[in-house]
This record gives sequence, C-alpha cells and structure tokens, in this order.
Amino acid sequence: MLEIKNLHAEVDGKPILRGIDLTVRPGETHAIMGPNGSGKSTLSHVLAGRDGYTVTEGSVSFNGKQLLDLEPEERAGEGVFLAFQYPVEIPGVNNVYMLKAALNGIRAYRGEKELSAVDFLKLVKSRVKAVGLDESLLNRPVNEGFSGGEKKRNEVFQMSVLEPRLAILDETDSGLDIDALKAVAEGVNALRDAARSFIVVTHYQRLLDYIVPDYVHVLSKGRIIKSGGKELALELEARGYDWLTSEAA
Amino acid sequence: MDAIDRILADFAPDGPLAEIRQQAAEQVRLHGMPSQRQEAWKYTSLAPLRDIAYRAATAADGDALDAAGFSAFALASASPHRVVLVNGRFRADLSTTDALPTGITVTSIAAALEGDAVALAGIYAEQSAPEAVFTALNAALLDDGLLIEAGPDAQLDAPLHLVFVAAGDTPLLRAPRVIVRAARNARLRIIEEYRGIEGDRGLTNVVTDVNLGEGAVLEHHRLQSEPDTCAQIGRVRATLGALSTFNSDSVTFGGALTRIDIEVALAARGARCRLNGLFATDGAQHVDHHTLIDHQVGDTHSEELYRGILDGRSRGVFNGKVVVRRDAQGITAKQASNNLLLSRQAEIDTKPELEIYADDVSCAHGATVGELDAQALFYLRSRGIDETTARALLTYAFAEKVVETIPLDSIRHAIEERFIGARALSELEDLVKGA
Repeated sequence: MLEIKNLHAEVDGKPILRGIDLTVRPGETHAIMGPNGSGKSTLSHVLAGRDGYTVTEGSVSFNGKQLLDLEPEERAGEGVFLAFQYPVEIPGVNNVYMLKAALNGIRAYRGEKELSAVDFLKLVKSRVKAVGLDESLLNRPVNEGFSGGEKKRNEVFQMSVLEPRLAILDETDSGLDIDALKAVAEGVNALRDAARSFIVVTHYQRLLDYIVPDYVHVLSKGRIIKSGGKELALELEARGYDWLTSEAA
Repeated sequence: MDAIDRILADFAPDGPLAEIRQQAAEQVRLHGMPSQRQEAWKYTSLAPLRDIAYRAATAADGDALDAAGFSAFALASASPHRVVLVNGRFRADLSTTDALPTGITVTSIAAALEGDAVALAGIYAEQSAPEAVFTALNAALLDDGLLIEAGPDAQLDAPLHLVFVAAGDTPLLRAPRVIVRAARNARLRIIEEYRGIEGDRGLTNVVTDVNLGEGAVLEHHRLQSEPDTCAQIGRVRATLGALSTFNSDSVTFGGALTRIDIEVALAARGARCRLNGLFATDGAQHVDHHTLIDHQVGDTHSEELYRGILDGRSRGVFNGKVVVRRDAQGITAKQASNNLLLSRQAEIDTKPELEIYADDVSCAHGATVGELDAQALFYLRSRGIDETTARALLTYAFAEKVVETIPLDSIRHAIEERFIGARALSELEDLVKGA
C-alpha cells in the first residue's frame, strides 16, 4: 500500500529526513516513535503534502501512485488522512460544512456522485455518536474555542466520516488527559479493519497501550534506527531513547 | 471634470427649489472637482471619469428599463415594500408601497415638488447643506428621489427595499436623493440596493440624508452591486437624536470606482451607531470608504468594523474618523479595519483618525492587513478540498465577521453566493439546527 524508499527532505536547506525506508501493508498499524527533533512530524507533513518541505531524494508510492507528485487534496482523494498534532482553528468556517466540502471533494476526485445534504447529515449523525463528539460542536466554526480533547476528537470524527485508506496520526496524544486519550483511541480502534492502515506518530508509549501497533519504528536524526514489534515500545518506555541513539551514533 | 463643467455651463434650474439649486451649482463651480492633493481624496483619483462625456439624466431616462428588464435582477430581498428608481427616477409601475403600515410614507421627490413644494423646500434646505462638492452637485441637479417619513412609534413589518437601477446606453450622471425622517420611537429597516444593466458607464451621485428623532431606530443596509463599468459617489449623512440608533452595513462588490462617505452626528445623549462595511474587489476596481463619527455630546456610543477583500489589481481605501468633542464625556468608540489581500498587485490604504477633545472616553481602534492563513489552507486541502474551494471558504470566513451582524437572510445569502457560489452553507446550517 505505502512504500517509502530512501526519503530525504529538508526545511530551509536543513536536512531533516535522511533516508527513510518504510513499507506499510493494508490493515497494518505502524508506530513511529522517537525523541523531539527526530523528524517524526516532518515525515507526517511530507506524506500529507504540506508546503515548505523539499524532498531531495527518494520516493513514496501509495497504491501504485507517486504520492509526492500529488497536491494535498489529491492525496486525500487517494485516501490519505493526516490527523494534526495542532488542529487549526478556522473562524467563520462551519465544521460540518467543511466536512461536507471535504467528503464531496474526495468523492468528485474518485468520480463518485456527491452525497445529498440529507444523506450526508445521516452519516454525520451516526459518526458523531460513535466517536463521542459533542453534537453542538458540529455547527461551530472549525476547532474554534474547542478544548484540546475536543480538537483531537474532531480529528478522529473527520477521519471516521472521510474513511481514509491510510490515516496518519501526528502526536494525537499530545495535550490529552487519560480519559480523552482513551476516548480518542477507542474512536481510532473502531476504524481499524483489514484494509485500512495507520501510522501512529508519538513521543510516548502511553498511546500505544490503547492503539496497539503491529510494528514499532524508532526515528532518530531523520533515519529509522530500529524496528520491532509492539514490545519495542515497552522497552523504550523502560529505557528511554538514549541507549538506542547512542548505539546508532 | 470637463463633462460636469459642461453640464453646469448651461444650467438654469427652475421650480420651487431653484434658488437652493443655483447656490449649490455655484459651490460646484467655485470648488471644482476634488483632486488627490486634498487629504480626503488622497488615495482616490477621479481621472478615470474625466474623459467620460456624461449627460445629466432626464425624466425620460427613467423609462429606459421595462418591467421585463427589471425582473431579470435577482434582488437581495423579496420584501413587499419595494421602491424602484431607474436612472435616478422614481418608477411607480415597478414599485409596491400599498402595504406600508400606517404612519410610514414614501413619496417621490418629483411628486412632492408638484404638491406641497414649500414644505419640501424647507426639508430639503435643512437637510442639504452642501459641504462637499458631489453633495452640492447632487443638490444642483435634483433629479428625483424619495422622501421617507415615519411618524411617532411607526414600525415596519418588512424591510423597505429601495432599488436603484443604472440603465443608460450613454454615460449618465444620476443624482437621486433619499431623505429619511423618523419621528420619536419609529423603527425602520431600509435596504438600498444599487444595480445596473450590463454596459452602463454612468455615474451615480447619490445622497442619503437621515434624521432620527428621540428613540428612533434605523437599520440601514447598503448594497453596491452595479456592474464593473459604473462609477458611484455616495454619501450617507445621519443626525441622531437622544437614545436613537443608527446601524449601517455598507457592502460593496460592484462598480469600477466607488466612493462612499458615511457621516454620523451623535447629537444627543444616548445616541448610538454601528457602522459595518464589507467590500470585495477584483480586476481594476477601486473602492473608497470614508466614515466620520462625531460624538458631539456625552454618553454616545459608536462601533465600527470594516473588512476588505482585495484581489487582482484592485485597490481599497478605508478612512475612519472619530471625533469626540470637548465635554463629550463618557463616550465609547470602537473601530476596526481588517483587510485581506488575495493578490500581490492588490492594495489597501487604511487609516484610522481620532480627534479626542474630552478626557473621560473609551476609544479603541486597530487596522490589519494580511493574506490567507497558509496553515488553514493546508488543513482544508489535506481534507480533500481543492485549492480554489479552500480559498473561497477562507475568504468567506474572513467576511463572516461582518456578515454575521447583518440580520437579513436575503443579504447574507447574496454574500455567501458571491464568495462560495452557492446557498449551500445556510441550507446546511438550517438542516443541522433542525435535525
């Protein structure tokens, strides 16, 4: 499904990713862990197509397409979804209207018919309950005045409506208390199935207690320095990152 | 401007207001057209109008549009109280005023002149002191216009919708006047909508004079949607009595060159006004708003929010002046001007001007100029929304702050359509609220 080969990227001439190789197959959940500044968020943003990153080497293929050649909205159309670490507040843009524009944008990209307002609303109502988002937030401006937990829940809610093939969760656990974390993880787990893949980017092992990954990769200085099963996360929790980063250096 | 000099050269007004009109014409001749050397016209050049061979609109130009032509306009409101002026002339056949509530009358100035001309002369002279050249020009030409009067406690059940249509096949100089007089505790909502037929190259020089008695309320919605070939120079002047309220929205999308002055005299205690504005321009459009809020006495209050969205090579000007007179203690005045530049060639000149001669006042003002938020744009696109739609959504979001203060669905819909190209937004909102 996703194949990253020797990916190098820089910001303002400064190399951040220095040769990432990663293969994600359908239905798999991969955790990307690593200390601050290791390039975790850069990897998420490069995959989603954010401006300001220059890919200097390597390739990313997604279901046979060269992902890096596509605009962000085309990547969404192909089924990529990024749950932001800091969801953006957009005053004046209604939450549910944005979502309708998004879903219909994706459907148009795939040559599918637009959903009617009524059908769309049925879908929204069923998903909003499933992720436990307060319904009154639907008709509010996107993320404006939402608590940290509400913002993250809104990301998962959007994901549940847009039904991506690959969801990238960028530090979704940051700023959440344990109850909010559990709720968000439940929402994510409900979306896991044999076809859908996840990349879970996190600094802490805590989130992985609730979203249990198939693989764990440790990123340091722009490279994956160790890969393993879910038990690697526990080891990192116990020993920190230093033993690995010094080993790699 | 040469054409206007020519119009005034063989100018010989007659009728009951001849003297007032002659004096006004003298003012125009004396001062001539404004130049950019004058502070009030620093950023707006009238040079593009100079070589247009304007002709003063006549009564016959009022018949330039038939009912079928008029029905082609999708108007901002379907109110039963509609008054239409074509090329500045009242058109009874296109207007419907039968259902106006008791105590509220709308009379064309042409008709009023034929009736009790002495009374009108009194009102007109009192309202029309021309301290600006274009206002003097409007007084001199006195085409026609509307006298809107609301008696004590009179109240409208639906907006009074005034439609001004520019429909000239040669460039016309139109000079309609609107006079609004609301007596004690009267409540009015008036929409002034400016439209035009494709290809009109005229100049609409309109003046709206408002006088509010004690406790009266006027909600005034001004919508400039003339084609991009027209020019408009408009002035709204309001004098507010004790505890009266003047709320104004000035929305400008159309016109090649638009200059609007809104002047409010808060003349008695407890008077308050809110002046909001929204303009969205593209191509080579030029929109200039000058506002003046004069806190003449204490315990008066004003709020002002203008937002400009500029694309192409268009240019915007906002000059917001607030005066607080000596002894006008205990006033509050808030002003904000926010502007969004969508292109590198677009330009905005924004200038707050505060003149404060009292000490117990609460004044705040701020001006911003920015571009679309790149983070928000990426967020929307990452969700699958194409760049054009994402930009439209964010642009609409910027306008929303002004739009949300306009309590008329019809105008909000018109604004949504302009930015998002569909009524989908409100419909969906209604659906969500209803579900």
